[in-house]
Amino acid sequence: MNEALSAMASVVLDPYLILLIFGTTILGVIIGVLPGLGATTGAALLLPFTLTMSPVHAITVLSTIYVSATFAGSITAILINTPGTSAAAATTFDGFPLAQRGEAGRALGVAVVASTVGGIFSVIVLCIAAPLLARVAYEFRPPEYFALTLFGLSMLASISAGGAVRNLIGGVFGVWLATIGAEKSTGIERFMFGNYELYEGLGFVPVFIGLFAMSELLVQSRTVNRIVEAVSMKAVKLPTMADYKRIWKTILRSCGIGTFIGILPAEGATVASMIGYSEARRWSKNKEEFGKGSIEGIAGAEAANNAATGGAMVPTMVLGIPGSGTTAIILVGLMVHGLRPGPYLFTEQVDKVYQIFGAMLLANIMFMLMGLYAARLFARISLVRTEILWPIVFALSVVGAYALNASLLDVWLVLIFGVIGFFARRHGFSVAPIAVGLILGEMVERNLQNTLKMFDGQWWLIFTQPLAVFFLVLAFLGLCGPFIFQTLFGKRRDVGEPEGAGR
Amino acid sequence: MSARHYIVPGFIAAFSGVVIWASLQLDTSPPMIVGAGMQPRVFPIFLMVVNLILVAIMVVQIHRAPPEKAHRESFHTWGSMLLMVLFYGLTTWLDMFIGIAVVMFLMCLLWGERRIHVAAASAVITPLAIFMLFDKVLQVRFPRGIITNWYYG
Repeated sequence: MNEALSAMASVVLDPYLILLIFGTTILGVIIGVLPGLGATTGAALLLPFTLTMSPVHAITVLSTIYVSATFAGSITAILINTPGTSAAAATTFDGFPLAQRGEAGRALGVAVVASTVGGIFSVIVLCIAAPLLARVAYEFRPPEYFALTLFGLSMLASISAGGAVRNLIGGVFGVWLATIGAEKSTGIERFMFGNYELYEGLGFVPVFIGLFAMSELLVQSRTVNRIVEAVSMKAVKLPTMADYKRIWKTILRSCGIGTFIGILPAEGATVASMIGYSEARRWSKNKEEFGKGSIEGIAGAEAANNAATGGAMVPTMVLGIPGSGTTAIILVGLMVHGLRPGPYLFTEQVDKVYQIFGAMLLANIMFMLMGLYAARLFARISLVRTEILWPIVFALSVVGAYALNASLLDVWLVLIFGVIGFFARRHGFSVAPIAVGLILGEMVERNLQNTLKMFDGQWWLIFTQPLAVFFLVLAFLGLCGPFIFQTLFGKRRDVGEPEGAGR
Repeated sequence: MSARHYIVPGFIAAFSGVVIWASLQLDTSPPMIVGAGMQPRVFPIFLMVVNLILVAIMVVQIHRAPPEKAHRESFHTWGSMLLMVLFYGLTTWLDMFIGIAVVMFLMCLLWGERRIHVAAASAVITPLAIFMLFDKVLQVRFPRGIITNWYYG
């Protein structure tokens, strides 16, 4: 415990790290306010830049981008009715109507406070829950890991973007992508078609840059000549005592919801903010205000989406199972920098883990300061012209992908997966399940192989393992939950979007 | 209800079929190595069978509630994809940075930038800055081409 606390405290004694967090927070907020460039794309683009950094500094950069970009999406959601990130979509429902009434500063103030509380709460939960979960995870053997990864994949069914079936198809496609290359236990080549650069499998980084950044570029090409409606703002105002009285319960509830949703494998800030918003509305005494500028709506969505950031880091670091699209990239960052995600991280590299947690805590405070004092400036950045911004993203994507392995194949993979991701999105498939499937694919197959070997081919013996059965039941619920709810309660509403919401 | 609704499930089913066929062509490993585990072809086949089941559910869903007609892609989107092909050609035969600069310049114009000097400046400054950053700070050596041959000597 003392070691953990001193590691966290050491962050504030490292001027380079503080400067790095400060600079990355600015960058993260810029990435967050630029429509289309969310935390996931930003982290994917920045990963190659972290190559020469130490592991702690590199993961700090990625996690700071994650928390600051998640918050910053709210700035444009409130001021120009365009969520900078998908996690801020629910913020537009009440943020923009409030801004239109001339209370943009108040709306941003509530968003800043709720985001900061949500972010700090989730990092505290991360610090407490991660080592506890790691202690349980020590007991995991191949059957448990296999069942756990199945649970992670099953949760793709309930990601909000796209339908359950489409998400599962995406997840299965991602798992199949993980089979490309030499099979680990036998060395048999699969789907390489004579290309020996694929022997080790598809690189995560080029596939992610393609799926997230390059496909987004093609999506953005549809929005050329978009006219943005902006509202003016004088200054960000901190909530008054009356405001705090109205929103404190909502913030606390959303902190819990966001952290819990974040901890669930494959779920992320977007789902958390939608549920946080719906619950804020459900429990509110002023339901009629929702969609017309309710500060509870803003607080509910913003506290939840930032609380999900810390929550999503729990399965990522403890189990090696990404809690969201962005943590999938952070997971790759951990591996690239030699930090093996899993329970042993908490015994072998405990100081580094807690330094990363400390840096996340500091990042939450930094983005609060930036939100309070520089939101106006950042909102102006969001008006940068797409015809200048996206060609730069193109250049960063191809060079970044090349830099990791100095391989032109990675550059071609970016282009190929950019087009695949674009057409997938065009037909209602989200790209996040493909990314999660790709990461979990190798784990699923390896643990299934080891389970079969452990039980001498008698696969049904997995049902004699209580923890494995527990995760298999959760996986079943994850898979069938959306269908059961749809059958029981009729057509599922992904979002508790109120009538007349300002979109 | 029209046939176009089934293009996507049809494509996924065909893809799954091709993967199953390709999996069946994979080498098998001696039983001594595989032991009680699976042959390398089994897992991809299993995945594609799952995919086919999901596609069947998707077809039922489409049959019950046909999706709205998707709008046609804009000229900008197809143009951007063509620029990616151009980038492949330029990088393969000339130089990666010539490819980036040309594609950036054309993309700026394609996406609506009317000021040629702005597009040109962006197309020159960005690749140059990225090159310097990666070369000097991250010490990445870029693939040989006209410019890099001259630079590296």
